[in-house]
Amino acid sequence: MRARGSNAAAGVAALVVLLVASVGRATPLPGRGPAAPLVHEEKSPWPLHEGPYHGNLDGIAFGAYGELRFAEDRIRGVTNPEWFSVGRVGGFVSARLNPRFEILGEGAWDRGPDDFSLEQVDLRYRLKRSMQLHAGVFLVPLGRTNLWHDGPAYEFAERSLPATQLIGVPNAQLGIGLRGAGGGLHGRPLTYEVDVVTGYDDGLIMDAAGGTRVPKGRNNYGDNNGVPALAARVAVHPSSTSEIGFAEQSGQYNKTVLGGVTIDHARYLHVLVADATSGFAGFNLFGEAAVALIDVPPGLQALYAQQQWGASVELTRTLREPIFGGWTRSKLSGGLRVDAVDFDPSVLGDSRTRLSMSLNFRQIPLGVIRLGWYYEIARDRFNNKTPKAGVTVTTAAYF
Amino acid sequence: MPDSFLSKLIADKVQIRLRRSKGEPVLRAKADRGGRRRSAIAICLLIMLGLGCDKLLTSPPAPGERFDQPLQGLDNGELGDFQDGQIQFRRAFTITDGLGPIFNNVSCATCHSGDGRGSTENTLTRFSRGTDLDIGEGGPQIQDKAIPGAVAERLPAGVDVSLRMPPAVFGVGLIEALTDSVILTHADPSDADADGISGRPNMVTPPGFVPATEPGAGPGLRVGRFGRKAQVSSLLQQTATAYHQDMGITSPYFPTENVNPLAPAGLPDPDRAPDPEVNAGQVNDVEQYMRMLAPPAPGEWTDQRRRGQALFASARCAVCHVPTMHTGAHEIDALSDRDVTLYSDLLLHDLGAALADNRPDGDADGQEWRTAPLWGLRIAREFQNGQLLLLHDGRAHSVDEAIRLHGGEAAAARDAFLAMPPADRAALLDFVESR
Repeated sequence: MRARGSNAAAGVAALVVLLVASVGRATPLPGRGPAAPLVHEEKSPWPLHEGPYHGNLDGIAFGAYGELRFAEDRIRGVTNPEWFSVGRVGGFVSARLNPRFEILGEGAWDRGPDDFSLEQVDLRYRLKRSMQLHAGVFLVPLGRTNLWHDGPAYEFAERSLPATQLIGVPNAQLGIGLRGAGGGLHGRPLTYEVDVVTGYDDGLIMDAAGGTRVPKGRNNYGDNNGVPALAARVAVHPSSTSEIGFAEQSGQYNKTVLGGVTIDHARYLHVLVADATSGFAGFNLFGEAAVALIDVPPGLQALYAQQQWGASVELTRTLREPIFGGWTRSKLSGGLRVDAVDFDPSVLGDSRTRLSMSLNFRQIPLGVIRLGWYYEIARDRFNNKTPKAGVTVTTAAYF
Repeated sequence: MPDSFLSKLIADKVQIRLRRSKGEPVLRAKADRGGRRRSAIAICLLIMLGLGCDKLLTSPPAPGERFDQPLQGLDNGELGDFQDGQIQFRRAFTITDGLGPIFNNVSCATCHSGDGRGSTENTLTRFSRGTDLDIGEGGPQIQDKAIPGAVAERLPAGVDVSLRMPPAVFGVGLIEALTDSVILTHADPSDADADGISGRPNMVTPPGFVPATEPGAGPGLRVGRFGRKAQVSSLLQQTATAYHQDMGITSPYFPTENVNPLAPAGLPDPDRAPDPEVNAGQVNDVEQYMRMLAPPAPGEWTDQRRRGQALFASARCAVCHVPTMHTGAHEIDALSDRDVTLYSDLLLHDLGAALADNRPDGDADGQEWRTAPLWGLRIAREFQNGQLLLLHDGRAHSVDEAIRLHGGEAAAARDAFLAMPPADRAALLDFVESR
């Protein structure tokens, strides 16, 4: 009980600090939200201040964000004692070394993978107004959620199942690539990114408990087999608030030589992601679907899936803005999301399906308090279902 | 139409006209009302959410409705051990953890569905050449999966094959707590009573790694009681062997990896996890967990089931499927000195050629099988995708089918069942399926 009490005090204190910081210090700079396609920026698709930076020092801008989670989670009616946790905490720094050259760094600890990951150490060189060369560690363009997943502007407490369980958001890799924007398709702006990256490693098999888990092969900053992977995304922007993107990453994931002896041939992983953002009748609609194709060694094929898929659909809407006359930038919004992932389509089970609802209060755009509920059915390989549900209160803010 | 509503409507129109005359945006006023309405709906939904909290946050299963529940009467320390063991039982090993190099499955839980029986997908394959367990060709059990760099075993040609569906693991503590003498009370190896039924124990020698203090261990021959042919006397032996044979996980009890004897020589060892890959405590945790798993509750008695029970006895099914035995002393109080309604004598019986696997197991021959306990049948379908998979290899999909496949010593009981009028057969089946 004592530990629970001290956790509560620490949690409440952290919540107060985050809120005070977000209200008192935050500057309402342009958000990093998905509804603002990069291609519509006036001068450059990749402005230095693409995030809500709160400080600068000799040309270096910096900031941070955090996310706290209070929850009553129950698995088959049994309460999970972990009622307070840090969802995500990270910091970012940016410096423009000259008008064409800039560097962006970002690192975060994320509750999903329970790990600290270096998400960006990205050197960016603007070749021309709508084309940029970049190199370093960066978020691979595997879907909108991976490219943009900061907590404060997100409408749900947890990211979607395909994002976390198939793509492995946040998924950063070491590489080099080209980003660009053009006139596009029938006059509709088009953005693209093509990167050569380290790819996923054999952790997707070696470190995966109970079957293939693609996210276990990420954070392969050093490349385990010396063979790069190719990642690419192309997106068309039919309007200023809509986007349709297609992304793919392919590459060898395994090691073929062990102790100087060739033990296997090259095996490839392909991850395909499609995402779409749109608005209609006051609603914002976002959908993302992912498919993974894995060449699994024959000795493991009965247990380790060679195909996986997942999809999510989010419907969000601003319910009231401003909430009160005096809070001119306040907003109340709500969201509904359905997401699912099938870890092995060759068996009836081994899947997860979830329904989430969220009601979000923002006094200013850079901080949010979310009240959420979710209900999830997880199925094991026997197709036995385990229901899991929870009520969550999460808060996230830039500071 | 009530006056108050009418007056409000008029007031709203007046207000709108006033705003128009002042040049204020009317649409904003409408939007405000719409926003308030949406907010009110959202808040109502949240209140409903709170009121329906228990329903919306899942509810626990009723006692006796699952296979993974602890025995009644455990103390807090034992319940803590139960939880520790459950974590180990459900732990899925990764290749980095030491899974393999050859194996059948990645965890205990992925073979025993919900702690009950397995399925046809994870049935184990045992084989022999007559009475030779064929160790040199990968016997006695095929490990059909291998980590990268290792070679999975394949079934040699011309061998006798015995498919073994993973058994339920609940209730094994109660079986362990039965003394050898209680089980032997029901033995009749030479059929002295000339009833055609001659149950006999599978007397086995516990392996050296099982401490003499463990139930089912000690010097000399002990009554085997676990396994399809009662070929194992100790729960620790069963657990440690499953880690080693089924998952390729070494422990202090089996410190050396199980490898494919037919794999090409000169391959590097692909299993880089240091041995032993689990410690003795982890194996003991799983053993203790299974020991404390309660059998699910049987269904409620009805007149038909009582009649079915009487018919079960009159057809002489209950000679082998002995309804109740009594446990002896056990270090866990909840297992001591209590009746166990398992409907089994835990003895070997010849079930005829149709079910024979022609493969020996300890003292059991190719036609003998341990009497299967009849418990957990009532909810078994919930854990096997709505179907029943009965007998040692899951070939029977109903109790009726399982009875029809009985032969040998059980032929007379089978024939008695088949000779019953349909209503009686239905009553007997209802009784058995309610266990």
